[in-house]
Amino acid sequence: MINLRKRWARRVLISLGLLAAGCVALFFTLPALLIAPASVAKSDVILYGAISKHSAADKYVIDLYRRGVARKIVCVGSQVSWELYPGDYVRDGLVSQGVNAEDVISLRLPLAPCGGAQLPRIVEFVKARGWKSALYVTHPEDSRYTDNLARGFFEREGVALTVSYSPEDMEELTRGWWRTHWKTQRMVGEAMIIILDRFYSECR
Amino acid sequence: MKYGIRNMNTALASLSNLKQSKLARWGAVAIACLSAAYFLTPVLLNKVAEGLIREDRLVKSDVIVALGGDSRCNREKRAAELWRQGWADNVVVSGINYPWGFHTGEAARRYVMSQGVPEEKISMICETLNTRAEARALDDLMRERGWNSAIIVTSAFHSRRAMYTVEGAAPGRSFCSSPVPTGSPEWTPHAWWSRRDDVYVTVREFGSWANTLVGGWQ
Repeated sequence: MINLRKRWARRVLISLGLLAAGCVALFFTLPALLIAPASVAKSDVILYGAISKHSAADKYVIDLYRRGVARKIVCVGSQVSWELYPGDYVRDGLVSQGVNAEDVISLRLPLAPCGGAQLPRIVEFVKARGWKSALYVTHPEDSRYTDNLARGFFEREGVALTVSYSPEDMEELTRGWWRTHWKTQRMVGEAMIIILDRFYSECR
Repeated sequence: MKYGIRNMNTALASLSNLKQSKLARWGAVAIACLSAAYFLTPVLLNKVAEGLIREDRLVKSDVIVALGGDSRCNREKRAAELWRQGWADNVVVSGINYPWGFHTGEAARRYVMSQGVPEEKISMICETLNTRAEARALDDLMRERGWNSAIIVTSAFHSRRAMYTVEGAAPGRSFCSSPVPTGSPEWTPHAWWSRRDDVYVTVREFGSWANTLVGGWQ
């Protein structure tokens, strides 16, 4: 009886140890799992969705615009405080750095439970302007998921989509990310979003 | 010989009966466990989520603090409501600076003013990326202004952790919690797993609790 208990205790401990090791391994592979290779294709519009406190994607978007990758830029975002839409400020920032004012638009999105719930509005906006292709500039950790999720939405409506991100953002995010609160928060948060979205039809 | 065979048959039959009754017992236990899990899991999940909330009896204080991070500004709305009811003379809002020249704290300040609180009664704490940074900044501000008590206003899911963190950062002062009422579009503990935004907030809050308790990422 005692031997049987010991054997079971050993089995449970080994299983818990393996589970913990698996979790640790999964944690450290998050950047590889979440960040897809950035791809750039000539498009009708750049959808600038990488707007956050730690983003420095302006330079990248302006560079794409100047290289003629796309002639229009749409700054996409929801409010972060009372009547405060970051896209409006990002638009002004791009204009002050030399982008033609008529080429940049701020698209104000309502607050939604998940990114997937906002995609139909973005697609609708793109289609309404007759654009047939879009380059989505997002956060690095969101790139693989956006590529999977958004591409479906866009392609169903006949709009080709490419997903990219600023190399500077990627370098900054992945540098010692497990030691920094906001970086870990973003990586783990993204992993949570991907898992949770599977269970809610409005997000898929 | 005949007698021996009959005995053996009886023994085999009783063994098979025993096996069947054991199987039936295990089956009954399994069904009972599954039923209990089915009916108790929602109750437990609701209880666990309710455990995230801390609401204290209101006490007149020096300041009402609306913690940052609410894009709907319901925390600020609640803080202004408490100010109008006379629970404190001052209001503190919180926020972060973005590289494009805007500050969420400034927007929160404007919102509180639109709710009837005079500008001179509103203070702001800046660069509060997380609750611990916010608690430290609040302690500094309270020391500077000579305030000793505060009403902490935050979302319901965040209220217990916020109080734990704020009280830990300023042990000599008194705080009470008055969270934003639950109910759509705000987080609601009842059946939180059925709503995508609530489930994200709840799971993240448990993670944040673990991080706070082990003193992990700052």
